[in-house]
Amino acid sequence: MAKIIRWICEKCNKKWIYPISRCLYCNGEIKKQIGMKIKVIGFTRIHIPCPPHPIVPYNVLLLEDEYGNRMPKKTIKDYNIGDTYEDIPSKEENAIAITKIKYDVYEAVKEALELIGDIEVDRTNKILIKPNLSIPGYPYLGIGTHPEVMRGLLRYLIERGANPKNITIAEQSFFFPFDKAIAKSRINQIVKEFGVNLVDLSKTEFIEKKEREFVFRVSKIVYDFDLIFNVPVIKTDMLLGIDGAFENLTRFLSKENFNEFVRDIKKAIGALAVLPNILPRFITIGDGTIGMQGNGPAEHGEPGFYNMIFAARNPVVHDKIVQEVLCLRRLPYVELAGKLGIGEYEVSKIKVIGNELDAVRRDIKQPIGSKLIKKD
Amino acid sequence: MYIKGVGMTKFGISGKFSQMLAYEATLEALNDADINFKDIDAVVCSSLEWFFSIEKQRHFAALLASVFKTHKPIIRVPAACAGGGAALWVAQQLGYDNVLVVGVEKLMTCKSESITDEFMMAAESKWEQVEGLNFPGQNALVAQQYLEKYKKTTTEHLALISFKNHSNALLNPKARFYGRKVTLEEIKNSPIICSPLRLYDCSISVDGAAACVVTNEKTDIKIIGSDLCAEYLPTWEREDSLRWEGTIISSKNAFNQAGVEPSDIDVAEIHDAFTIVELIAYEDLGFCKKGEAYKKIEEGYFNLDGKMPVNTSGGLKAKGHPVSATGLAQIYEIVKQLRGEAKDRQVSKAKIGLAHNIGGAGGTVTCHILKKICG
Repeated sequence: MAKIIRWICEKCNKKWIYPISRCLYCNGEIKKQIGMKIKVIGFTRIHIPCPPHPIVPYNVLLLEDEYGNRMPKKTIKDYNIGDTYEDIPSKEENAIAITKIKYDVYEAVKEALELIGDIEVDRTNKILIKPNLSIPGYPYLGIGTHPEVMRGLLRYLIERGANPKNITIAEQSFFFPFDKAIAKSRINQIVKEFGVNLVDLSKTEFIEKKEREFVFRVSKIVYDFDLIFNVPVIKTDMLLGIDGAFENLTRFLSKENFNEFVRDIKKAIGALAVLPNILPRFITIGDGTIGMQGNGPAEHGEPGFYNMIFAARNPVVHDKIVQEVLCLRRLPYVELAGKLGIGEYEVSKIKVIGNELDAVRRDIKQPIGSKLIKKD
Repeated sequence: MYIKGVGMTKFGISGKFSQMLAYEATLEALNDADINFKDIDAVVCSSLEWFFSIEKQRHFAALLASVFKTHKPIIRVPAACAGGGAALWVAQQLGYDNVLVVGVEKLMTCKSESITDEFMMAAESKWEQVEGLNFPGQNALVAQQYLEKYKKTTTEHLALISFKNHSNALLNPKARFYGRKVTLEEIKNSPIICSPLRLYDCSISVDGAAACVVTNEKTDIKIIGSDLCAEYLPTWEREDSLRWEGTIISSKNAFNQAGVEPSDIDVAEIHDAFTIVELIAYEDLGFCKKGEAYKKIEEGYFNLDGKMPVNTSGGLKAKGHPVSATGLAQIYEIVKQLRGEAKDRQVSKAKIGLAHNIGGAGGTVTCHILKKICG
């Protein structure tokens, strides 16, 4: 499943490691060359740390594909020269894929979904995509789901047979005008480009669902779809520590219902932990293209260059691994969800594919204002 | 063009700010040229303006205008570790009579982790940086590939290069390792940094500045060859990562301009950011065939008492590597050698010298050939 990508001129065969549109020498058209038979041809074991790579020692392999294209690859595992380098996909509930973006977000999204066993789609499937567009913000700020991730996911789905008319992007903002959030995030352009539907969840009907001691009022349309993609941007959060798979689900609720929960932090943790249980099954694609670090969007957080895509079939697995990758302190709602059997939260029992956990861990600016963290 | 004067600070850990280091090297170069700043028509400077530096200083060219009290043109030419060489090359293209070229770096203001990160920013961001391929790692991969392909070359040969450069630095008062003896055993037993490279295979980060005055007026040192060549940033993107085309092309052009052969070179300063880089440069500069550098290393060909001494200053390895100043410090050493002013490390009868400066893992390469003009 590991890939080496090159952009190659169809006329003169010059190769680029960048997604160029036309050859600079002959104006020839460019096609992608994707090598998948990959061997280890060299390696170095690195013993000196730096902020983006704090865990040492680690190895950097020199990989080569069947076309002779090469790339370096960080790994904690030891390899020998001549070894095959491959990732084995897993459809299991406790699996999460982490892919790195080599300038081509679509390929990273596609690879992440392939690594969790690919998604079967046909023209009749009704598909719901739930990005995080709760705060108006330009894509470069990492406040909302990046339009390139949305573009990559839509392209993936349509290439697999989905009908754009059956795809709906749905979101609402509890604090800002929805239209403003959609426009600033550039998602309105994506909607137009692909001819998919856009729904403001606040304008939908909400129905009551009970789980444990909590009463949820959930947008009714959520139950009308065959396939749901939860696509949060990976960003730090003053209140929760992180906005990931769980937090993104809260905007399936009515604003009033949401406000009931956030008034009491203990209640919020409990409700958040069981929220997936009242929803249909969904796949989470964590947008770590830019993301956010520090105190998050509300308190002068800043963009974080994470350059990763996460994909998981279980939200506990997703948020637990994101927490580990970004070296954040514990997330009580994830632990609670784990204890309630909603998903695996013990790292040793989670299958991380595409990139090893220790190979992508990095220190980011922590959300020091998190009320949950202060309670530790 | 000709070189009228050279200057450099002592390389090491300095309490001075970048502009003051540049001032110190400039003052020595002006004095050496026996001119003052009024005679300078333009300045080409090089500095990386480090992100992590405590100086938090950008727009270095204008900062130098404050130091030099001038409104004359000052342009900054950053080219990673090749900044000094690139600045000298640019200075010759400008058409001025007298150009001051000055390179400076103030590295020792943050922890080595930050310096590692800063150096890594000269690697490709999404293919290399995110994969943890830091600067020593880039060169270590090249070393690993080289040792795999050319089996007769071993880490012992790399250690001998390091030992040679440390032995030379012992004699250079401006070197970081001046007066500090390092044994071959210490080198061989030093900790692995990025396999197969050990600590003593890596150059040492220092603060420092170096300057020279280039002129159209005839002096005792003529630049008879000068070239700059760009190469793909990642080594693994190149057809052959063990042949550094930047070195091959720039040196070929410089030799052609100079009308001399590699065998005519009496003394050379070769960019030894890592021992493997110096070894590959022996071959790419034409001093020996591909895969055969080990033979000349074994026979001591490049030692101070050898047939063609290399890095008599101690090189980046032991004199120190203040990034943008390095290329001009190489010129300083070659000028001193050609003038017969290198004292304990003087190469006898040195008439033609070569300075080879690399940015990154071969991404920018300059090659300068200087000749002593008699009479």
